[in-house]
Amino acid sequence: MAGFLDQIEPVKQSALAELQAATDLAALEQARVNHLGSNGKFTALMKQLGALAKEEKPAAGKAVNSAKVALEAALAQRRAELELKAALPQEPTDFTLPGRRRALGKLHPLTQVTEDIVRSFRKIGFVVADGPEVEDEYHCFDALNTPADHPARDMQDTFYLRNAEGRMQNEETGDRTTEHGVQTAPPAPPASTLLRTHTSSVQIRVMAKQPPPVRIIVPGRVYRRDNADATHNPTFHQVEGLYVDRNVTVGDLKGTVEFVFKELMGEETRIRFRPHYFSYTEPSFEIDFSSALTRKMGKEWLEIAGCGMVHPQVFENVGYDPEVWTGWAFGFGIERIAMIRYGITDIRLFYENDVRFLKQF
Amino acid sequence: MKVTLNWLKQYVDFDWSATELADRLTMLGIEVEGVVKLGGELDGVVVAQVITKDKHPNADKLTVCRVNDGKGERQIVCGAQNFKAGDKVPLVLPGSTLPAKPGEAPFTIKVGKIRGVESHGMMCSPQELGLGNTVEGLLILREDATVGQPFAEYLGRTGSDVVYDLEITPNRPDLNSVIGIAREISAVTGNPLKLPQIKLAEAGSRAEELVAVRIENAELCPRYTARVVRGVKIAPSPDWLRSALEKVGIRSISNVVDVTNYVMLETGQPLHAFDYHLLAKQTGAPCPAIVIRPAGDGEKFMTLDGQERTLTSQMLLIADETKAVALAGVMGGQNSEINLNTVDVLIESAYFKPQNIRATSKKLELRTESSYRFERGADIGICDWASQRAAQLILETAGGTLAQGVVDAYPKPFTPKQIALRHSQTDAVLGIAVPMEQQIESLQRLGLEIETAPGTAPSTAAGMPHTTVFRVPSFRVDLKREIDLIEEVARLYGVDKIPATAPRGAIGSNPYDDVHDQLGEARRILTGLGLFETQGQTLISDAAGKLMAGESLVALSNPLSSDMNVLRPSLLPGLLDALRYNLNHKTYDVALFEVGRVFTETNGRRREERRVAIALTGQRSPLFWKGDDREARFDLYDLKGLLEEFLEQFGLRGLTYARRPDSATVPLNPASPESCRGFPLSPSEGERAGVRGCSSVLHPPSLFLESATVQLGKFQLGELGQLLPPLARQYDLRDAVLLAELNLDQLLARRNTGKSFRTLPAFPAIRRDVAMILPEATSHDAVLQVVKQAKPANLEGVELFDVFRGKNVPPGQKSMAYAFTYRHAERTLTDAEVNAAQENLVAQLKQHLQAVVRES
Repeated sequence: MAGFLDQIEPVKQSALAELQAATDLAALEQARVNHLGSNGKFTALMKQLGALAKEEKPAAGKAVNSAKVALEAALAQRRAELELKAALPQEPTDFTLPGRRRALGKLHPLTQVTEDIVRSFRKIGFVVADGPEVEDEYHCFDALNTPADHPARDMQDTFYLRNAEGRMQNEETGDRTTEHGVQTAPPAPPASTLLRTHTSSVQIRVMAKQPPPVRIIVPGRVYRRDNADATHNPTFHQVEGLYVDRNVTVGDLKGTVEFVFKELMGEETRIRFRPHYFSYTEPSFEIDFSSALTRKMGKEWLEIAGCGMVHPQVFENVGYDPEVWTGWAFGFGIERIAMIRYGITDIRLFYENDVRFLKQF
Repeated sequence: MKVTLNWLKQYVDFDWSATELADRLTMLGIEVEGVVKLGGELDGVVVAQVITKDKHPNADKLTVCRVNDGKGERQIVCGAQNFKAGDKVPLVLPGSTLPAKPGEAPFTIKVGKIRGVESHGMMCSPQELGLGNTVEGLLILREDATVGQPFAEYLGRTGSDVVYDLEITPNRPDLNSVIGIAREISAVTGNPLKLPQIKLAEAGSRAEELVAVRIENAELCPRYTARVVRGVKIAPSPDWLRSALEKVGIRSISNVVDVTNYVMLETGQPLHAFDYHLLAKQTGAPCPAIVIRPAGDGEKFMTLDGQERTLTSQMLLIADETKAVALAGVMGGQNSEINLNTVDVLIESAYFKPQNIRATSKKLELRTESSYRFERGADIGICDWASQRAAQLILETAGGTLAQGVVDAYPKPFTPKQIALRHSQTDAVLGIAVPMEQQIESLQRLGLEIETAPGTAPSTAAGMPHTTVFRVPSFRVDLKREIDLIEEVARLYGVDKIPATAPRGAIGSNPYDDVHDQLGEARRILTGLGLFETQGQTLISDAAGKLMAGESLVALSNPLSSDMNVLRPSLLPGLLDALRYNLNHKTYDVALFEVGRVFTETNGRRREERRVAIALTGQRSPLFWKGDDREARFDLYDLKGLLEEFLEQFGLRGLTYARRPDSATVPLNPASPESCRGFPLSPSEGERAGVRGCSSVLHPPSLFLESATVQLGKFQLGELGQLLPPLARQYDLRDAVLLAELNLDQLLARRNTGKSFRTLPAFPAIRRDVAMILPEATSHDAVLQVVKQAKPANLEGVELFDVFRGKNVPPGQKSMAYAFTYRHAERTLTDAEVNAAQENLVAQLKQHLQAVVRES
């Protein structure tokens, strides 16, 4: 009896040592088979239990079981340790190494500024409208109270389109707005098709189609026949606001302009109106603004927009009664806002699409 | 338009500083574009006389003087010795600044104590005044110098002045004159406008005995006046006249010519002076006649600037009986100009129809101070007054005798326009209450006169009792209706004083509003896919345009250059330019998109449509430091994957992609006629079937190495492909360039943004994989078509997970491996039923595609 009990401890210790010595899961499994497997050394010891005298069995069984529990615990613990070890990467992770990036693209800065402008106007009940870039003289000039011989047409240099022969043979007439508001240029007498010089042409299209009240903004591309330099590009963007209702006043115009520019340029922005001239508004004003941005540029006041009360003649041209309806319009350049806001000094950067530029916004 | 401070002060009193005047003008709507100070270095230096000269109590070398500065006496401490009591010397008054010496800051004189004695100014040496190198002693002036006279005046220098460069808006021709600007100042200050007094000494013949005037076209020339001054002496102008012109940038020529320019600047009325003796007389006529007539077509005329001009019958001439002598309102002729031998002068002061002058000036590309003013609308009422003013100044500066009276051909004298102003309307438009009296006074100050005072006007139908009817003076051609008067009231009231009111009123509505958001959504998805948004030029070269759209270009009639002579027919040229720009600036991996409009013209039909286009080149992924495919370049499957993700996210499903049969490499052939069923229509078939927008969205086949159309049912949405490598090299691009362009208007019209919930599957799916060896030409779509035809029971989805060529695959063939997923919504499928469906499917694949199937 004493002989059997004495055997237990050395077998247990040798098994424990082999389990501890295993450096990977395979070695551990081998150690388990060696000792606890069906032909294992410890299993062999347990098999001897049956051969013991009846009165020796309880003490011997208790001792063997306790050793088995200890071995199994040691096995489980070692397995957990080795599994964790196996899960670790073979090479250590350097958390200072750059990660594998999934790059997002960026919206063009002009799109971002346009969206900010649209958002400000929408807060106060404006919706977005649109019109064609290829325009006729009627919508771009005549209906805006700028007849052909008017000196005001000198203020803008216009691109005209060359007329192809046989044009317009199957152009539809009448309403040219598609279901999504895209419009095709209407048939017009030769030599009068042009690239719109301002988004104000959309005023006319919207008012001609829709009864008052009107509350729209129109962001879009416009064209002037200027050579490209740091402050000019033949293509640029404007946004126009138009509000027509009963009892609309200059005070409302100022209130709206102040609201929008504070939204765009910061709460401390100040706005100044100066009398000016535009053929389609009367009275007309130029708007200057003043803020930390202008002072950074060394100027107290910076011209930023033009505006005025819609000229009664314009209302008459679209069939609105100027005795009932009043309204105002204002417009400004989107590039100019973006340039002031971000400190961009050359308008051509917007059209070069250098990714190093686009990434900055 | 340039004016000077001193010139303005001749016509109206105001005490604004130079800067304040600029601000005031700006706030009146006259924008000041530039301010230049002239002279003024010796401001604050006056001629003074020394009354007493005594020794300084505390210093041997100093004296204490009492000095008369013209206004009173002051005590000056002085260090110079070279003067005595009674001498006249230059004195700098306290607060004034001495002219800066080169390299030194200006020095301002202050009242201060020198060795305990107060000194109220400084007497100067020539060097201290910048007048020479003499350091020792004061500058002693001539005995006849006037005490108190500004020292600059003593020196014969003109005093300081300030030149303003003003931007005059085209509606206000009256402001193209010094008097016009002065009138605005007068209206704001309430100080009267002081017009020059004209008293003319006339003698000898009467004007009508010396010249006759005949207007042939009174519409183009509604008024013509002529005056004659005889016996003048042509000479350089006196200083005041020369200096007045030069300050505002007009070259001085001679006294008579300068007077006509001076009066033009002063009054805004362009004048012309003829040498009377160069005007031909008809034989037998008592005197020469001025004939205002249209030019003959092709008539030649030599203008003052020595250019021979070819005229048209639309142009108006001033002529005598034998020849043209001036291009009306634009420029005089060389044959009758004032010259050194001129003795008798004819002064022309006329009014010409603005539109006609404008057309002539434009046609001849000849813009002058005169044409500028006439085309904007001169003052028909001022012709005679301006002529008198010129006569007065010619007599003053060139001598001579003025013939009596004037010849004034003025068939239809001006009748002032009358405009009624409802004073309540002013308040309604401006959103403030301006008292009626203030409104009336403002308008009167601007030169309007009351025709009918309020209360006496007959009530309008609307019943507005507070109405004034005004007569508009001839110089205000811009005032046409009530709103124009309201603007004048607002200007004088001060626009800055109108309070801002919070936004209010109707909420807008426009069908485009939603489209704007949809475009924004498209942009957001594309940036989410890693693309940068660009904005390209709308104007491109016809060469680039032809490459992208063949002949259907919209051309400009007045392009700036051949680089920008057509409207873009596609967004691709702009994207290629952007790729090139980036590569030239060492950014090699570029993924871009643009949302914008394109313009085409086919069969005389012009289209303006929205597109979205994508361009990829260089490495697919951002730089990383490990991985086998880290340097992989973008290929067509990257582009297609982007399109698939974009289109699905944007709400377009069921798209098909069809290789364009005309693209460069051999097209894929469907394995059998059956598998072709349901395959997208080719472009040519599409046209027969009435596919819309076919021609506009496809690019010339020569653009691509290979390309495919993107279609939704019968609608052609766009095209994707790889740029032909030789073209890529033309754009300096070395890696593959992948391009896609879609008709965005079509996408907007076809998208389905409806969303609805489908119950999540409750029972497990069973997957079966199949690998097949197929002929190279069999497309993925052909496989899908067979699967679709076979309609296996409970098939949930098919996914391609491997395409392999090489080991164990015969040449000309490929291995494609598919995973088929089976699922039933209401129960767990048995292996047996899945196997039955799968076996049937495999049989179909074998039969239709000649597939060798290796089941796993």
